[in-house]
Amino acid sequence: MTDRQNNAAGRVERHKLTERVYHWSMAACMLVLLGTGFLPVMGVNFAWVDPHWIAGVILTVLVLIHAVRSLIWLKPSDIWIRWREYTASVNALTKEVLGGPREKKRIGKYSVGQKAFHHAVAVVVLVAIVTGLVMMIGIDGPFWERNPYLFSEATRGLIFVLHGFAGLISITMVMVHIYFAIRPEKLYMTRSMLRGWITREEYEQHHDPALWRE
Amino acid sequence: MEILRYKSDAWGQRVLEGASWDLLWVFAAAALVFIVFHAVYTHRKLKQSRRDD
Repeated sequence: MTDRQNNAAGRVERHKLTERVYHWSMAACMLVLLGTGFLPVMGVNFAWVDPHWIAGVILTVLVLIHAVRSLIWLKPSDIWIRWREYTASVNALTKEVLGGPREKKRIGKYSVGQKAFHHAVAVVVLVAIVTGLVMMIGIDGPFWERNPYLFSEATRGLIFVLHGFAGLISITMVMVHIYFAIRPEKLYMTRSMLRGWITREEYEQHHDPALWRE
Repeated sequence: MEILRYKSDAWGQRVLEGASWDLLWVFAAAALVFIVFHAVYTHRKLKQSRRDD
């Protein structure tokens, strides 16, 4: 849908088709990675290695495309946490936790919490990708032969520890992410990740045009 | 509960193998605790702000 069509329909575009395809492809990769990584640990035995590394390679390509797109075509400022925004958010949360009323503040395209979550996911996924790619040297693949002697046992152990913790933290993150996605007040954002748009009413109610220009 | 897994190498020395899988439940439980806490907290806060309005 073009901007003009969105305007006519009373909608504001939040996520372009490319971003939505990226998000859901990443979600599918993450679920395959977590399933193939942890189901065998829980006693569900199957040939998990091939689907695991293939999903990892696909995720790596997706992240690379996303990084390039974000830096060139998207606005990195949309996802960057400004100091003023951070302090305002922390102050509001502190007041609220200490018994004050819930402030109805309007956010930019993303809230501080969403941005912080994005950055945390970026770090965890990058650790998983780098360690995962290194671990692939230890298995036979279609275009390479395994070399289990490239790293010492101690280095390999450390790489496995980092990869394992990245996976474990991902479980927490995915669960929390799904929880927020299905919270009633966030459903309009989840819909926008499916259909691309939010209504003008939702835009005016939840978002500050000074922080997010449609 | 252990945080790390160890194994013996070819020379019988104890070497690091990876993160302990006992932690799987800890990370899942941490998410559940956060979710329950947030849901209860938000519900109470919304009730309070509706009352104040």
